[in-house]
Amino acid sequence: MSSPGQILKENVWTNNPIFMQVLGICSALAVTNLLTNTVIMTLGVTFTTAMSSLTVSLLRNYIPRKIRMIVQTLIIAFYVIIVDILLRAYLPDISRQLGPYVGLIITNCIIMGRMEAFAQSNPPLLSAWDGITSGIGYMAVLMTIAVIRELLGFGSLFGIRIMPANFIPWTIMVSAPSAFFLLGIVIWIGKTIMNREGAAA
Amino acid sequence: MNKQGIVYTVLFAFLVSFVFVLLLASADHLTKVRVEENRTIAIRRAILNALALPSATPEEVERNFETVETIERGDTRIYRTVIDGRPVVAKEFSGSGLWGTITGILGVTADLQRTTGIEIIAQNETPGLGARIGEDWFKKQLVNERIVDGRIRVGSAGDGDYDPENGIIDAVTGASRTSDAIGVILDTELKTLSELIGGNQ
Repeated sequence: MSSPGQILKENVWTNNPIFMQVLGICSALAVTNLLTNTVIMTLGVTFTTAMSSLTVSLLRNYIPRKIRMIVQTLIIAFYVIIVDILLRAYLPDISRQLGPYVGLIITNCIIMGRMEAFAQSNPPLLSAWDGITSGIGYMAVLMTIAVIRELLGFGSLFGIRIMPANFIPWTIMVSAPSAFFLLGIVIWIGKTIMNREGAAA
Repeated sequence: MNKQGIVYTVLFAFLVSFVFVLLLASADHLTKVRVEENRTIAIRRAILNALALPSATPEEVERNFETVETIERGDTRIYRTVIDGRPVVAKEFSGSGLWGTITGILGVTADLQRTTGIEIIAQNETPGLGARIGEDWFKKQLVNERIVDGRIRVGSAGDGDYDPENGIIDAVTGASRTSDAIGVILDTELKTLSELIGGNQ
């Protein structure tokens, strides 16, 4: 069984959900043009992955194999709707800003991927840790892309103006194609570094 | 009991669905009143913003909304108040955007010479592009904007046209379809308001 340290290293670096497993790409393209949206979306994904992994792991010995994926989907949807209800009741302004983002967490392949690959065959706390670290790995890549896109697309970070007044925003950075290019570059850099590390070892 | 058998599978599926749906229904029920209050405050705040009576806290919203008179005209509800001796009215609108319906409140002076403001209540436009119609820089263009020949025109894309005399607002960069939709909504609403209040109240 993997140790918590190993799980952290794998999920953030050697088996990163975005640039190694290439999962969760749709949201990586959709939400990364503004840092605030990226932070809240990735926090939502981290919470949902951790709680769903914990629940699936607790129930893993009782779930019939034939219906395990539909049960996993039910559990993921449950936590996403709970996040949505809490935001609507206690943080209505944030809930309004996020709009459809929260519901879209259900469709993130990373969550289902971790249920199948890890939570289904590991103890609850370790599964929750796997969920948290997968969320961190996802967050790290999305935040990197979002910093570049918001800075060049809007000249700001977290809505605060950073670039000089005469800076001309790059319109392409606001639209989805720029995320394709940036994601490709991130995957290229990540894999190159990893190959060098592998060659050195 | 055989955990892979049909009876266990059906019972498990029923039980797990029942428990999670019960928990969700309970969470929804417990927060229902609060969510409804938040919704009422959000709509009232939008009306006040459109009437150029910005209100930050829920208490302020309640206090300022007491000065607003609600008038029923057939199926339409108009909100009327007097600011600095000048009668102003607001009306809820909804129109087709790129991905769905855009709902909001438009405020105008009762003589239909100027708009007082606009507030977007709900929209499903592209995040980071069309959805920017909900941002302050866009909405501020319609504060005290002169209505020229019964119209406000949506011009070319830009950072915001803050000349209150030209009757033109900037479109959102990279979101021509949503900007066009706003143009159509403004035309329709100004026409409807002109029919409802006749531009002389």
